[in-house]
Amino acid sequence: MPDARKNHDTFKDFILTEAGPLATSYWGNYPKFAVSYFKAQFGDAGTKENNYGYDYHPKITGDHSHLPMFVDMMNGKIKGFFVMGQNPAVGGQNARFQRKALAKLDWMVVRDYFETETSAFWRNSPEVTEGEVKPSDIKTEVFFLPAAMVSEMEGSFTNTQRLLQQHEKATDPPDDARSDSWFTYQLGKQLKQMYADSPKDHDWAIRNLFWSYDPEPAEVANFRIKDEPSAYKVLKEINGYTWADKKPLPSFANLKEDGTTVCGAWIYTGVIPEEGVNKANNRQGDNWISPNWGFAWPANRHIMYNRASADLQGKPWSEKKKLIYWDPNAESKDPSGKTIRGKWVSPAGEGIDFQPTKAPNFRGKDNGIGFDWLSGNDAFIMRADGKAWLFAPAGLVDGPLPTHYEPYESPVANLMYKQQSNPVAKTWKIPGNPYHEVADPKYPIVVSTYRLTEHHLTGVMTRWLPWLAELMPELFCEISPELAAEKGITNAEYMTIETARGKVQAKALVTRRMRPFLINGKTVHEIGLPWHWGWQARAKGDVVNNLSALVADPNVSIHEGKVFTCNVRAGKRGGVA
Amino acid sequence: MAKGMFVDTSICTGCKACQVACKEWNELPGEPSHFHNVPDRPYPVAFNFTGNSYDNTGQLSATDWRHVRFIEQFNESRTEARWFFSSDSCKHCKDAGCLNACPVKAIVRTDMGNVNVQQDVCIGCKYCIPSCPYGVISFSEQTGTVHKCTLCNDRIHNGLGTACAKACPTGSISFGEVEELKKNADKRLAQLKGLGFLKANIYGYSEAGGLNVFYLFMDDPAVYGQPINPVVPQRRLFRSAAITVVTAIAIAAAAIMSFRERGMQKNKEVKP
Repeated sequence: MPDARKNHDTFKDFILTEAGPLATSYWGNYPKFAVSYFKAQFGDAGTKENNYGYDYHPKITGDHSHLPMFVDMMNGKIKGFFVMGQNPAVGGQNARFQRKALAKLDWMVVRDYFETETSAFWRNSPEVTEGEVKPSDIKTEVFFLPAAMVSEMEGSFTNTQRLLQQHEKATDPPDDARSDSWFTYQLGKQLKQMYADSPKDHDWAIRNLFWSYDPEPAEVANFRIKDEPSAYKVLKEINGYTWADKKPLPSFANLKEDGTTVCGAWIYTGVIPEEGVNKANNRQGDNWISPNWGFAWPANRHIMYNRASADLQGKPWSEKKKLIYWDPNAESKDPSGKTIRGKWVSPAGEGIDFQPTKAPNFRGKDNGIGFDWLSGNDAFIMRADGKAWLFAPAGLVDGPLPTHYEPYESPVANLMYKQQSNPVAKTWKIPGNPYHEVADPKYPIVVSTYRLTEHHLTGVMTRWLPWLAELMPELFCEISPELAAEKGITNAEYMTIETARGKVQAKALVTRRMRPFLINGKTVHEIGLPWHWGWQARAKGDVVNNLSALVADPNVSIHEGKVFTCNVRAGKRGGVA
Repeated sequence: MAKGMFVDTSICTGCKACQVACKEWNELPGEPSHFHNVPDRPYPVAFNFTGNSYDNTGQLSATDWRHVRFIEQFNESRTEARWFFSSDSCKHCKDAGCLNACPVKAIVRTDMGNVNVQQDVCIGCKYCIPSCPYGVISFSEQTGTVHKCTLCNDRIHNGLGTACAKACPTGSISFGEVEELKKNADKRLAQLKGLGFLKANIYGYSEAGGLNVFYLFMDDPAVYGQPINPVVPQRRLFRSAAITVVTAIAIAAAAIMSFRERGMQKNKEVKP
């Protein structure tokens, strides 16, 4: 993505910054991916002369990850907010802070199945019911729109194993409920209409956005909703196709730098290798890695760098576990069409994550560009040197070697290393987000937050269903009998947990699964808090994230709300949560 | 051939998917006693936190046909620690106390060996309830009849397994021919014993005439809340009847004796 903080001023700068003039490894193909992406955004309007619309594409202007976004919101920098399938009033770290940030918006659109805590924050959040905030003082205009459930729309899931699995639409959603893609598509169409006659140059992108996913009649024939965008057309654009004759591309090797191909995300290329074939629909499983079930990006490679499943000579390390290997006798064609011998093969159908005819004994060329620089043993083709890395010398803000840091809030000093906690962790020393000192006597207890099998995240999909609500009906706190005895806390009775950010009440679950630690001669207690509950729905409880603070990891801003410090006492909380 | 289930508790993870799958297939509601109405809410809210590990029902009921037990056992120092999970249901006993007790033959056994309550025949007399040694069968105030697991009667008579077995992500609950399941159970038991789990045992080969739904436990059945040597009340009939007869004879003899004595006394009285 173009980023205003980097040297991305022109399209050429963008390519040079991201890929370099002499890119080794697979990144030598970067210009093909970039041109095809911008061409997918702007279609005919994107030409070589205007760098395929690069200058009109929005640029990243800062850290837009979740926590910095809410800090910006609190500071009034964000005016409007779309919330689809998310519930930050419960799931957000320092949830009170995040709810107060929501109150600074001009407008917010929430699309979900039920009235989530996020959409109801203005009328019945703890701040409102306890009298700290009046709904009349909240200026945010909240729009709640009913969303379709998964069986009410067509599309594909991509899981964290990179596997795409298509699901069909079984039935129309009820009444006004619509899929998120319907909403996004219709919103885009209306915006394009509003800006169609704008003479302003900065409206060029919205005027020329390629936005054409109307369904074919057969796709909607069996349904009441006739203007649902075509999931196939969206996936086809992500996959990539030739712009002139709209033929899907079977491989990202077919992508071109000259504007003749479009491709939303090159890593998905191959999921629709030809018109009407969607590999995400494949359903042939086996008892191993099932290469013919769904489609794993990229190029159906379930195991990345699978060249490494064969030894230096290209023979499988293990006959039983052979995945891909070099067959010296197999015939294939080189790029010029000449018949040559030897290629990598995968009898199971696994995608080969290597150049198909590069022999194991091939020596990389010292002056080579792209793949030519890599040898037949350089299995790690996305790394500039083609090698596996035991540690990361570049690319991470911290590192290069792992070490032990205490969490940002800890009851003890780091015994391993003189550096207490990650020195480059993202922290926000701002009003509403106070932190505890290390070994703070007011907050001597470790709290660990976690999830349960019975509920999903903030419970929007589980706490409203009686069958699931009754499985884990309300917030509870796991506590050792030792700490319970010390604090006079009784099993199944209320207890209160407190931090500088807030306090919550929970039913105590006294269990020996929780155990006191002896750390440097000092007894340290830990409590466990599953965090699925909120004030809405059939299973309800206090919001555990009222306790956590805004702290994030330096690389990808993953929050640190899984562990921090607190204090506990018997009884209900009283006062504001 | 009798169909049944083998519940291998050693690989149960306590996820409760069986409880939910059972309710979904059999169209059972959330247990009414779990939910309360609260002010300002148009819908009832769950309030059934038990404080007993992750157990959420505590027992089987007319709407909870499956119940996952959570057994936490730790010694004081935590050097010995275990957390057992066990998914319980109707065992479809070969000698079914509920069936024997039913005065109107509402409870029947099908050709597949499962024991069912015919809802349109049940008169709600509740005689079956104390006749079940496992506390399985329960009365519903809503319907005025008794309810319990049917072994997914509609599914199994249409070539499907039970809903709970289908939903079980670890294979802890398996459905099939009882004789086949027993072979698997014996194999698994031998494997566990070989690994040093000497207390592992199969529960249900002999209890109540043999259970079509039987269990592999890692410790005594009592640890899992199952009765050792459960007896169906009707099996006490012969002994009870014999005792009754003996008692009747004894009372009769005593009565005769007492009359004789009185007679003798009378004679004495008459005698001056």
